[in-house]
Amino acid sequence: MLVRDYMTRHPVMVDPQMSIVEAQGIMAEAKVRHLPVVGEGKRLVGLVTRERMRIPPTELASLNVWEITRFLSNMTIADVMMKRNEVITIDPDIPLEKAAQIMVENKVGSLPVLEEGVVAGIITETDLMAHLMEMLATRLPGVRVTIRMPNVKGELAKLIGAIGAQGWPIMACGGVRAPKEPDKWEAVVKIRGVPKDQVVAVLGRVEGQEIVDVREV
Amino acid sequence: MATNHRIKSPVLKVDGVAISYETRYGDVEAVRDVSFNVRRAQTLGVVGESGCGKSTVAFGIVDFLGPNGKIVGGSIKFQGRELVGRSQKELRKLRGDQISMVYQDPMQALNPSVSIGDQLAEVLTVHRGISQEEAWRKSIDMLERVYMPDAANVMDRYPHQVSGGQQQRVVIAMALLNNPALLIMDEPTTALDVTVEAVVLDLIEDLKRDFDTAIVYITHDLGVVARVCDHVAVMYAGEIVERGPVEMIYGDSLHPYTQGLMRCVPKLGATKEGSILYPIRGRVPAPKNRPKGACIFAPRCDYATDRCHNERPLLREVECEHSARCFYAEEIDASAWKPPQGLVPDLLAQEAEEVDREPIIRVKNLKTYYEQESKSVLSLVGVGEKLYVKAVDEVSLEVPPGKTLGVVGESGCGKSTLAKTIVGLETPRDGEAEFLSFNLTKPVSKRDVELIRELQMVFQNPDSTMNPSYSVGKQISRPLQHFKAASPDKVHEEVIRLLNAVRLDGSYYDRLPRQLSGGEKQRVGIARAFASRPELVLCDEPVSALDVSVQAAVLNLLLEIQRQHGTTMMFIAHDLSVVRFFSDYVAVMYLGHIVEMGPAESIYAPPYHPYTEALLSAVPIPDPTAEQKHIRLEGTVPSAMNPPSGCTFHTRCPRRSMLPDGGKICETQVPPWRYNTDEHRIFCHIPLEELRKMDPVVTTR
Repeated sequence: MLVRDYMTRHPVMVDPQMSIVEAQGIMAEAKVRHLPVVGEGKRLVGLVTRERMRIPPTELASLNVWEITRFLSNMTIADVMMKRNEVITIDPDIPLEKAAQIMVENKVGSLPVLEEGVVAGIITETDLMAHLMEMLATRLPGVRVTIRMPNVKGELAKLIGAIGAQGWPIMACGGVRAPKEPDKWEAVVKIRGVPKDQVVAVLGRVEGQEIVDVREV
Repeated sequence: MATNHRIKSPVLKVDGVAISYETRYGDVEAVRDVSFNVRRAQTLGVVGESGCGKSTVAFGIVDFLGPNGKIVGGSIKFQGRELVGRSQKELRKLRGDQISMVYQDPMQALNPSVSIGDQLAEVLTVHRGISQEEAWRKSIDMLERVYMPDAANVMDRYPHQVSGGQQQRVVIAMALLNNPALLIMDEPTTALDVTVEAVVLDLIEDLKRDFDTAIVYITHDLGVVARVCDHVAVMYAGEIVERGPVEMIYGDSLHPYTQGLMRCVPKLGATKEGSILYPIRGRVPAPKNRPKGACIFAPRCDYATDRCHNERPLLREVECEHSARCFYAEEIDASAWKPPQGLVPDLLAQEAEEVDREPIIRVKNLKTYYEQESKSVLSLVGVGEKLYVKAVDEVSLEVPPGKTLGVVGESGCGKSTLAKTIVGLETPRDGEAEFLSFNLTKPVSKRDVELIRELQMVFQNPDSTMNPSYSVGKQISRPLQHFKAASPDKVHEEVIRLLNAVRLDGSYYDRLPRQLSGGEKQRVGIARAFASRPELVLCDEPVSALDVSVQAAVLNLLLEIQRQHGTTMMFIAHDLSVVRFFSDYVAVMYLGHIVEMGPAESIYAPPYHPYTEALLSAVPIPDPTAEQKHIRLEGTVPSAMNPPSGCTFHTRCPRRSMLPDGGKICETQVPPWRYNTDEHRIFCHIPLEELRKMDPVVTTR
């Protein structure tokens, strides 16, 4: 679960000299929102996002239709991109949650992944979403159950023990501090091939824990 | 790993591309209306016979078409960027950074006078601008990544000091050093031995998975496509005629051309009946003769109607993701196909008399050595120890009259030397060889005309065995006159008869070799070999230079002539599936020795010699559903100058561990011949009972 495993390799990249009209076309064609800008040898020199392409109306207001065309055709990526020192990047061997933290704290949607200054890939919000989705085995059918338990050592083992005693396969498992209840934890478990009623019957009996939510997905 | 949410847009999008070459006849359209997409971590196979425009498409993607080639229409988009009309400077940057190419002949891609390390490191120092030491270290890592044995030392060698398979690995490593998004491979394994090819194909699979690279894989070999490709585009005469996922192309092909190709590829079938080849009649039209406003395949198609001759079909989607360029794609049922009369000679008609006749040729303990200059000072004065390359060592074989013996093995195993020794181009050092009542150990210059007449040869490359300034008629009439096989006034008539026998008409009499296609030249070569009505014909890889559909026709022709004349044949090939179809007996050679010999059926089922087993598991099978055991030989064939002691195969044998002590005996003792039946023998220490227990290599569903 490192950035290396979830990043998109071979991202679509552009040159600083490219006109923004062409870059706009590439974004639409390749259906991407972030374009790393590279120089010789795929070395990162900047980043362009859809927001960066948005030219403030104040700059255009004074121009007439003919001037706009000329204004746009003269504009290059280098004029609108975030410069290298503004771009936050990440190493491929960093854990994925760390990437999420960097993106949340800096409010950015993507991080170019650099290996010794060379662009090896890009990781975006979508990649992290996909990772969350995979962690909870979203695409596979099963019973998803959320259990609230005291924040005490051994509680999770109790729950897993109860499932294990039945011989049920666990497809996914995750834990999080319960929202608004700091002394409780919530665990989400996804179980395969067992009817919902049975899951409720067995896990409802686990001492000191309660089922917050259960559903077949 | 989750990949489904990844960018769905293709890495490479080729749309309606047409490419022309300027020639003295005006512009010739080599490729037209070619469209396909390649996504990340996907391999698209482009298949077709030679002259179909496969390589033109590959060169077109990066505009390597040369001064007379140009893209005349359509668009090629790489990651959303249009490539058509880019300047050479921009393309050069893309080619270095994001698109890499691997070509057929690794020796032409490498500079022979620069060490491998310098060539690899140069890629990084030039494109990435990193320091020499750093580049050197990264290059070693990459060589290890492509499973190069002893990578650090290979860096100091020159290209000619490593084997062909290793050269190709160097080229692949070089292509991957810049971590390209798109890799174009043009017949990357065609020049390699099957065992090496298998390893390189495994490597390509691994790399695609690890680097998420999109690959365009160009080849004529349907077996290779089945092994490495996810999607396939079948090209014919410059157009894509069918396109779809690999299972669909093989399991349920829609276009008559694809169906025809499938029928003329030799398969490793279980029976001889199952391996009959049905050639496609006619030949690929030259670009300037392609039918306009009609289906290009119509002249060769069994299903063609008036509509096909008057209207050009479009490539249309017939099933999900599976397109074909045929009006009748839905209606044609390949399984109901019956060969038209006369397409295939009646090969199954078994000869009635199964009389046990004396072998026509008998070779016993034959040895052919090549003397090697020793480097010691003593050898200068002629008293030093002599070194020998043991090209053929202790070979014994017999062939009954009218039968075919197939000889198979990797390159360098001595199969061609064996053939040359028998025809007298090499003199054996020791052993006996007898043919009819002639002694075969004399060189050809001292042989009776009588013997030469009875012993003829068909060569691999018809180009280099025909005098380019002699007409076809003259080529064939020479042996007739020389051997007095026809009276002087009948020579012309006889030449015409021979031409007809190889399905060429009399108009070929005055043509020069350069006016013939590869298949036609090989037919002339066959006619010439059979002109003196020989008893034994040696065929040294007669079809390996030919396209599959031509190959099928030439093989059928050879079989037919053999049946008519009762000729005995020795058929030398590296392709186990061709031999399966063709031979009554098969001998498997390794490093100058025969390691297994027997009737053809017994070679392809257990018990196997471990080497035969490895060869069979390496053969690419044109069927994506076939399951093959995964056996890969380590290392390369050892030098024949210094062959390993005991069993020569012990250094690479994957089955040695079946013997006690990890097969210590293999290193010290020469194995015994173990007789499975009277005719089927295996040269191995492992007892037959053990060998019989092995599973068959190939299982087809």
